[in-house]
Amino acid sequence: MSEITLDVWLYGPLARYGGNAQEKVFANLHPCLPAGTTVRDLLNHLGLPAEERGITFINGDLSAMPGMQPDLDHELRDGDRIALFHLRSMWPFQYRHGAAAIPEMAEALQQSRDMGLHHAYDPGKAPDGEGTI
Amino acid sequence: MWFVRIDMTNRSAAVSEAPAKYKYLAGRAMTSTLVADEVPPLCHPLGPSNKLVFAGGITTGTPAPTSARISVGAKSPLTGGIKEANAGSSWAADLAVMQIQALVVEGQPAEKGKYWGAYITYDGKPKVEFFDATEYTGKVLPEVFPKIYEKFGDKISICSIGTAGEFGYGNSGVVFNDLAKRPTRYSGRGGLGAVMGSKGLKFLVLNRENAPGVHIEDKALFDEGRKKMIDALRTHAITKPKGALNSYGTAVLINIMNEAGGLPTRNFSSGRFEGAPKIAGEAIFETNKERLGKELYNHACSPGCIIQCSNTYHKVDGSEHTSCIEYESDWSLGANCGIDNLDHVAELNALCNAYGLDTIETGVTIGVAMEAGVIPFGDGEAAIKLVHEIGKGTPQGRILGAGTETAGKVYGVKRVPTVKGQAMPAYEPRAVKGIGITYATSTMGADHTAGYTIAPEILGVMGKQDPLSNEGKAALSRAFQATTAFIDSCGHCLFIAFAILDIASGYQGMIDECNGVLGTKWTADDILKYGAEVLKKERAFNEAAGIPKEADRMPEFMLKEPLPPHNQVFDIPESALDSVYGEL
Ligand code: SF4
Repeated sequence: MSEITLDVWLYGPLARYGGNAQEKVFANLHPCLPAGTTVRDLLNHLGLPAEERGITFINGDLSAMPGMQPDLDHELRDGDRIALFHLRSMWPFQYRHGAAAIPEMAEALQQSRDMGLHHAYDPGKAPDGEGTI
Repeated sequence: MWFVRIDMTNRSAAVSEAPAKYKYLAGRAMTSTLVADEVPPLCHPLGPSNKLVFAGGITTGTPAPTSARISVGAKSPLTGGIKEANAGSSWAADLAVMQIQALVVEGQPAEKGKYWGAYITYDGKPKVEFFDATEYTGKVLPEVFPKIYEKFGDKISICSIGTAGEFGYGNSGVVFNDLAKRPTRYSGRGGLGAVMGSKGLKFLVLNRENAPGVHIEDKALFDEGRKKMIDALRTHAITKPKGALNSYGTAVLINIMNEAGGLPTRNFSSGRFEGAPKIAGEAIFETNKERLGKELYNHACSPGCIIQCSNTYHKVDGSEHTSCIEYESDWSLGANCGIDNLDHVAELNALCNAYGLDTIETGVTIGVAMEAGVIPFGDGEAAIKLVHEIGKGTPQGRILGAGTETAGKVYGVKRVPTVKGQAMPAYEPRAVKGIGITYATSTMGADHTAGYTIAPEILGVMGKQDPLSNEGKAALSRAFQATTAFIDSCGHCLFIAFAILDIASGYQGMIDECNGVLGTKWTADDILKYGAEVLKKERAFNEAAGIPKEADRMPEFMLKEPLPPHNQVFDIPESALDSVYGEL
C-alpha cells in the first residue's frame, strides 16, 4: 500500500501534540500515513481529540471552525499542508469573508445560521474553560 | 455640553454651549460632521483652514465597559480626504466628563518653529490656558511625557505628537497616554499628527478635577444596557478574560492569516511568510513567559476596558521593550518587511511610538523601500536605521515619512499597496476578497477597521443575496461600513463587535446604553441609518475634495499579479465596487 507524506502545523497549545510536550509556540511535522488517510485519521494518529482543535486549514483553504468540523472525512493527499489551531485562536468574520474554503466547509457555512456570519457556531458544545470562536 | 474652540492663530480659546443641531452627535459622527460643515474640502491639509476635531463617543466617560474611545478628525494630509482615527485612552474619558462634546483646533500661528501646549481644566466650565512647549520638541515621546506629568501632576491625560507630526509627515499620528502613562495609544492613520503640528500645537493636556461627569438621561435603561454589554463581553470566547484577545492579543491572527495564505509578505508579493510563527501572538506570549518566568496576560489600554487586549513585550533581561505589538504592527514591521526577528519587530514598534509614526504606514513604506533595493528584505537592523532617519528628519527620512505612496513614486516602484494614498493593512485582498471591497471603497482609504459587523440583523440589509457573490459582498461591505461608523460614534472600542455579533442581548445592550445616555428611542434600524448618514457626509466631503468614485479601486498590480499560495488576483468587478456607495 502506498503512503503519503503530510506537512502538519500545530499552533499554540496544540504544539504539544507534535512530540514535545513542552512546546507551546508551534510544531511542524511530516508524518507518513497510508494513502486514503482522512483528517479524522490524522487527528487519531496525533492523539489530538477533534474537539480540541478549532480553525483548521488544508492547503490554505478553511476546513473547520470551532463547533463546525465538516472536514473529518476529507481525504488528504500527498504533500498536503494541514494547519490546526487551538480554540483560543480567532478569525473574525470581517477578516474572513471571501476567503477560500474546502468544498465541505463552504457548504457547511452556507447551511449554517446566517450563512456563516458568526464567530461561534455551536457554543453549546464548547468545552468548558476554553474558548470557541 | 460644551464646544471648546482653540484658535492657534492668536492662541485664544472660546467655550460655548454646543449647538442644538449637533445634539446626538458624538465620536466619529461629531468629528466628520464638523469637518464636513466647517473645513473647505479643497483647503491644504496643513494650512490654516483645516481643523482638527476631537470628540469622545456617546458612552465615553460613563461606566459602560470598554468605552474610553476618542475620535480625531480633520482633512487628511495623506489621503486628501476626510479622516477619522480613534484611540483608547483616559484622555477620552476626561474630555467626556468635562462635558466637552467637541474640541476644535483651528487657525495657524504666523510664527514658525514655535510650539504650544493647551492645558484644559474645569471650573464651572472648561478653561484653556496656553504654555510654551517649544522645549519639548525634537525629542522622543517617552522622554517628553514624564516631563509633562511632572509639570501638571499625576491626574492629567496627555494628547501629543512626535517629531513625525512636527515635520509634517503624511505618516504621523496623534498619540494619547495609556494607563501606565506611556505614549502608546495612537489615532495613527492618515497623518493627523501633522495637522496638529501645522497648528503649532504640541500638547493638549486635560485635568478632570471638579468635572461634573457625563449626564445620563435615563439611568435605569443605561444600567440595563451596560449589564447586557458586560455579560456579552465576559462570556464571548474572543473577548472574555483569558480569551483570545486577552491571552494573545490581536497578534494571534498572524499564524491564522499566514495559513489562510492572506498574510501580505515582502511588500505584498506573497500571502505566506515562512517566518510567521516566530513573530506571532503565540511567540510573544511564550517569549514573555520565558523572559519573565511567568505567564503575562494582556492589559487594558484605557480605563474601564474589560476585554484588555493590549500587550507588552519584554527584553531578554525582563525589562519592558514596547507596548503594544498589535497584529497590524507585528505584520507591517515583520512579515511585510520579511523580518522574522521578534526583538527587531519590537524595536521598530517602539521607535514608531517614540517618533509619533503610524506603524502600518511605516512598515508598508519600508516594504516599498525594500522592494526598491534601498535595504534588503529581512534586514531588521537596516529597517531600524531607516525608522531613525524618519524620526530624525534626514533627507531620506523625510521621503519615507511622507508615506507609502510618495515613497513608491520617489523610488519608482510599481507595486505600491495603497488606496486613496493610504497604506493597506494586514489582510491580503486577493486572498480575502470581502475586505478588499472595504479597502477600495472606504472613505478613509485602505482601512481594516472600516468594515465591522455587529448583528445578524444586518443580513436583512442585504436581502437574499448570496454573501459569496460579488453583489452579496458589496452589500455586506456597505452594511459593515455603516455599522462601523456607528460603533466609532458610540464610544465603544470596535472589538466589542466580536461579542455582540454572536450575542444578541449584547447588541441590544449597546443600543440601550446609547438610548440611556441620550434619552433617545433608537432601534437597530436607526443605528444603521445613523452610520449611513455619517458615511454620506464623509463621501460628500471626499467628492468635493476631488476624490471621485474612480478612486475606489485597488492598485493595478493586485488585478494582474496572482498571489501565492492561492494564485488569485483581485477580481471583484468595478460595478460591484461602485455599488457600495452608489446604493448607500
Ligand atoms: S479591547 Fe483592546 S484596544 Fe479596545 S479598549 Fe480594550 S485594550 Fe484598548
